Parts: sequence; C-alpha cells; structure tokens
Amino acid sequence: MAILEVKNLKAYYITHKYGRSSTVRAVDGVSFEVNKNEIYGIAGESGCGKSTLLKAVSGLVKPPLQILDGEVSYNFSDESLNILSLNDDRQRRRLRGVRISLIPQGSMSVLNPVRRIRKSFEDVVYAHLDVSESEFEEMVRDHLQALGLDWTVMHTYPHQLSGGMRQRITIALSTILRPDIIFADEPTTALDVVVQRGVVQLIKKIKEEQQNTLILVTHDMSIHANLCDRLAVMYAGEIVEEGDVQTLFSNPKHPYTSMLLNSLPRVGDSSPRASAPGAPPSLVDPPPGCRFHPRCPFAMERCRKEAPLLRDVGNRHRVACFLQEGGQ
Amino acid sequence: MNNDKLLVLDNVTKVFTKGQGFVKSKIEAVSRVSFELELQPPEIFTLAGESGSGKSTVAKLILGFEAPTSGSIYYKGQPLEHLKGKREFIRDVQPIFQNPFETFNPLKKVQNYFHDTERSFGSPPRGQYPLTERSLELVGLTAAEIKDKYPSEMSGGQLQRASIARALITNPSLLIADEPVSMIDASLRMSVVNLFKRLKEEQGVSIIYITHDLATAYYISDRIAIMLRGQFVEIGSVKKVLDNPLHPYSQLLQSSVPAPDPRDRWTEDIALSDLEAREYTRQGCKFAGRCPRVMEICQRQEPEHYRVDDRLVKCHLYR
Ligand SMILES: Nc1ncnc2c1ncn2[C@@H]1O[C@H](COP(=O)(O)OP(=O)(O)OP(=O)(O)O)[C@@H](O)[C@H]1O
Ligand SMILES: Nc1ncnc2c1ncn2[C@@H]1O[C@H](COP(=O)(O)OP(=O)(O)OP(=O)(O)O)[C@@H](O)[C@H]1O
Ligand code: SF4
Ligand SMILES: [Mg+2]
Ligand SMILES: [Mg+2]
Repeated sequence: MAILEVKNLKAYYITHKYGRSSTVRAVDGVSFEVNKNEIYGIAGESGCGKSTLLKAVSGLVKPPLQILDGEVSYNFSDESLNILSLNDDRQRRRLRGVRISLIPQGSMSVLNPVRRIRKSFEDVVYAHLDVSESEFEEMVRDHLQALGLDWTVMHTYPHQLSGGMRQRITIALSTILRPDIIFADEPTTALDVVVQRGVVQLIKKIKEEQQNTLILVTHDMSIHANLCDRLAVMYAGEIVEEGDVQTLFSNPKHPYTSMLLNSLPRVGDSSPRASAPGAPPSLVDPPPGCRFHPRCPFAMERCRKEAPLLRDVGNRHRVACFLQEGGQ
Repeated sequence: MNNDKLLVLDNVTKVFTKGQGFVKSKIEAVSRVSFELELQPPEIFTLAGESGSGKSTVAKLILGFEAPTSGSIYYKGQPLEHLKGKREFIRDVQPIFQNPFETFNPLKKVQNYFHDTERSFGSPPRGQYPLTERSLELVGLTAAEIKDKYPSEMSGGQLQRASIARALITNPSLLIADEPVSMIDASLRMSVVNLFKRLKEEQGVSIIYITHDLATAYYISDRIAIMLRGQFVEIGSVKKVLDNPLHPYSQLLQSSVPAPDPRDRWTEDIALSDLEAREYTRQGCKFAGRCPRVMEICQRQEPEHYRVDDRLVKCHLYR
C-alpha cells in the first residue's frame, strides 16, 4: 500500500483586504500516491504551487492558506491516519516532528540566527525524546559523523557558515529523529554545483541508512533526473504529468514537460536556443480550459474550453492533455 | 598605458577579517588576480567557482565599491581610484544584481526607477522618456508592460529583464552581472542570457558574467576564469576550459553540473568542502585538502600559473 495518498486536494490562499476578498488557487485538485521507500519528485516553474502542496500535505496549514477539499492519508506500518481530520494539535505535532519531517525552502529560516547550532539540535531532540545529555550528544555525534559533518559546527552560529554548510546542517537537523517521510523543498536551489552535488550525496546517504521515503520539490529538472524514481510535473496548481523518471525524460507526453526539458542549456552545446515563450498565469484568475493553452504550441479549440483530466496512458504514466485522447 | 584595454586588473588582492572568537582569521578573498578585457571586440567574460570563492568581491572591486588591499585596476587606461564615484564612470560601468526583487523597492512603481535614472543622466523633454523606451525595447519589454506596475505584479524573469533595461539607459560599455539568473527558473534563464548575447553582438557591450551555472556560461561566454578561495585557478576560452578542464578543481566543477538525464547520474562520491576559513588559510594549494590527485608538494608549496594549451592553470601537475 502507498505510504502517502493524496486525493483531490484543494488548498487556496484566501485573503480579505479593504472589503474585497481574493483567492489564489495554489493547489487545485491534486491527486497522487507515494510508495514506501520511493523518491518522488515534484517539478514546475516558480509559483506553480509546489511549496503550497508540501505545506498542505504535511499539515502546515495556517491562514491565509485553507484546505477546501480533499484527503491526505498516511499509512505507516503501525498506524494509518488522515492528517486533515486530526483535530488534536498534539497529535499533529508528533506526526510532524517524528514521523514526517519538512525541510523548508530557504535554509536560514530553520536555523535561528542568534542561537548556536547545538541549541537548534537540542530544541528538536528534547521536544520529542526523553534522553539524557550524554545520550543526546552521542546521538548527534553519530548522526553528524554518518553525514560527514564535523562536530565543531555545533559551537558555531549560522552566519559563520557558508550557505552550503548551513543547508547540510538543516538536513542533518531534519533527519536526526529518523522520520518515515522526508519532505524537502528546494534543498539544492541557489547553491553552487559542487555544494549541490554534496547535498544530493547527503540525501542519498540518509535515505540508504534510514530507509525512509523522500518527497523532493525543486524546479531544477537536472536534480530530479539525478535523484528521483518517479516525478510529477505541476503547472498552475495542477499536476499535468506524472510517471517514472526515465519515461518522463525520454518520452514526455505533455507539451509543458517538453518545454521545460527543451529550455535547458547543456555544457558542450552552444547552438542557439530559443527562450520558452510566455510566463505562467496568475492563480487568482487562471485561464479557462487547459491552463497551459495560452503557451501551448498545439492548443486546439477544445483546449480553450474544457479542462483535460489527468489520465493513465499505461505503465502508471499519467498525462492531462487532449492530445493523448486523439485531439478532438 | 593600457589605452587599448577596456579593463585591466593587475595583481589585485583584497584582504578581509572574518569571523569572531575562535574562528577569527584574515583571508585573501581575492588573491593576486590579474586579467584584461580588450576595448575591441566586446567580450563576455565569465567568473565561475564555488560559493564564497571571491567572485562578488571581484565585482565590487571593479565597480569601486571596495578598494583593493594591493594591486591596481585600470578602466579605459585610467587608474580606477581616479574614476570612482565619477558620473562618467558610473554611467559607463553598470551592475546587475542577483535578486531583481531586491533591486526594486516593492512599494515603488517599476517605471519610476526608469524615469529617475533617465532624468538624472539625461535631460529628457517633459513627460517623455526616449531612453527608457529604447532600453525596454532592447530587453523585449514595452513601456505598456511596465506601466503602473509594482515589482510584485511582474514575474521574476520579466523583472530581471527590467533591471537589465534600467542598467542600459546610460548606454554603458561594461555590465557587471553578479549571478543574474540564479534566482530565476531554468525555463526563463534563456531569455536573460540570450539578451546578454544580443547586447554584446549588436550593441558592443562587454559583460562580466558571474555565475555557477556552467551551462549558460558555456552558451554565452568567450572566456572563463575558474575561482577557488580567492584565486584564479584556470583561465582560458570557455570551450577549452569546459570541454576539457585541466585543473582538478575545474574538473570537479565541470563534472558536478547535473545532467538533465536520468541515465547519466552521479555515481562517484566527492569529498565535501571543509569550513571555508580553513581552506582560505591553507598553506600550499588551496584545493589540496579535497584534490583527488594531490601530491606531497601541494601541501607545502603554492603552485604558480602555468601556461598549458592556451590557458593558465595554477596546479603542480602542470609544472
Ligand atoms: N501567503 C500567501 N498568500 C497569498 N498567496 C500566496 C502565499 N504564498 C504563496 N502564494 C501564492 O501561491 C502560489 C503558489 O506559491 P508556491 O510558493 O506554492 O509556489 P512554488 O511552486 O513553491 O514557487 P517557487 O518555485 O517560487 O518556490 C503563487 O502564486 C504565490 O504567489
Ligand atoms: N565585507 C566583508 N567582510 C568580511 N568578509 C567578507 C566580506 N565580503 C566577503 N567576505 C568573505 O570573502 C569571501 C569571498 O566572498 P564573495 O562574496 O566574494 O564570494 P562569492 O564567490 O561571490 O560567493 P557566492 O557564490 O556565495 O556569492 C567569503 O569568505 C566571504 O565571507
Ligand atoms: S596543485 Fe595539487 S592539490 Fe592542487 S589541484 Fe593540482 S594536484 Fe590537486
Ligand atoms: Mg516554493
Ligand atoms: Mg557572490
């Protein structure tokens, strides 16, 4: 059975200002399943709703974000629960701290700038485990060592460390309690390529050692190619294509996935390359029909009026595009 | 002297004091760096290298925001310390920053930046902004597209193009672009780098392009310098350096560019970098602690620049 099942999830930002209300349909009817031990990637351009999806799925919902519809269920070996129906705050905090762990976008936000790194580790460990100081030290020392980090970082403040080192520490901190599921939001973005590779290496190592499930959000298709088993591509609040990563890269079926892949320059290739046309739409007032139609080179009459459903085209490859239904 | 050069950096060093308490140390964030850009033809020169290797410090030295601890910089044949802060220089050498959302104040309409810049550098007829229109056109935007818009109402790619357009109002000879695409999606990056290419080819603008995106560097630049802990470890034509890197650090950098192809994953583990200050203050070669080809001499003696295959390489392997 899938460890995580998401059905028809709708998460909107609803704000009221000067007597007017505005709704950003950031996650708009998303369904997917993640298997135990899998690395599941979520791709798509900036603003398409990736972070919002992670927040909603991991139960970090606070105004103006609201869940309007859907189900999010976790099936761990010893319990199953639906996170949206947990009304006990303590239960939700336990789930979030111990069973699932979110590495949020922007590593600075997790590490408190005025506290030494050691304090951050103490906060996380003591909040969930009843351990002595020496047990705490042993646990952290082992974990840091397994990840190739030096114990001396425990005495430093975040600003004394490079961005790459901070990101590695954030990852160590989020995995110290050996969660069943790790959600990582853009863990490699804005890092240089060597540090990025170090972070990918670190994530692989943790997964191997702790045998957990990883859900990885990034707009960087190359990182997905390097890490993921399966990949979902989001566009304007919806999943438009999903499949195993080999298939998606070698045989993309949604025109948006093709556009994302074709826009990538490569070392060794300086032949002229056109920029992708247009920009993603506003989620306050998304286009009718297929949300991609204004940028799609294949858009047909039907695409302007009707919204295509995400359908299985075989081999657990799902695509939301009328071209897959023979056009008309 | 140097009259046929646009820019000359001659043995430039910048020392910073870093950290407090037990990690306090003096580092050479830029260490004896030399390179030149010709007046003609215009060139795109890339500075690449790990985070914290001194790239932005080089940019700040060229813009005159920081003064070198030693060494000299000449712009169009004149020493930079005579030009710094002068209108002519500011007009001629324009910076472009990483985050377009920080370049523009969220409470100020984007068009006002253009109008302010145009008024302070030219004398536009009342209510007309010909330079603004021209520079917007160069980046593929129209006055109508930015009219009355606040930064939050534009996409990252649009806003970055707007910040480049603003830099173009004064008709500069040199742009210093410090990671201009790292905050924007890959799919929108091409629109910015294609723009740089056009500016060079059609407007004769030279560009110092700072990035760790080697794929776009390969795509647009003529030459590249690879920086490591304040030093240029390899300089040469971008094709030579990235097709066949010679310095072990350039090799690591080049092989760490992730391929957008699941059949081509990284399989080997790399040694991760140590605390930054420790590498900066290392004796011998700064890369010796991580280098897969390290030799005994690398630990104690700093390598010189050796000329190999039309480029300079700072590594004992090429003695
Ligand atoms: N607190 C908020 N209030 C209102 N709208 C928001 C809020 N946070 C995000 N949004 C909007 O919701 C949409 C989805 O945002 P989200 O952060 O999920 O995108 P993303 O795919 O993670 O983008 P990025 O790649 O830039 O991180 C965007 O249009 C964004 O502007
Ligand atoms: N004003 C300053 N005072 C002290 N140290 C500084 C100062 N500015 C930069 N440094 C240090 O100098 C070194 C080089 O920094 P610089 O910002 O030039 O690197 P960079 O290559 O641009 O890195 P990134 O890719 O992260 O932008 C770093 O160790 C940095 O912490
Ligand atoms: S000098 Fe030595 S340590 Fe430095 S890169 Fe060359 S071989 Fe490696
Ligand atoms: Mg996000
Ligand atoms: Mg920098």
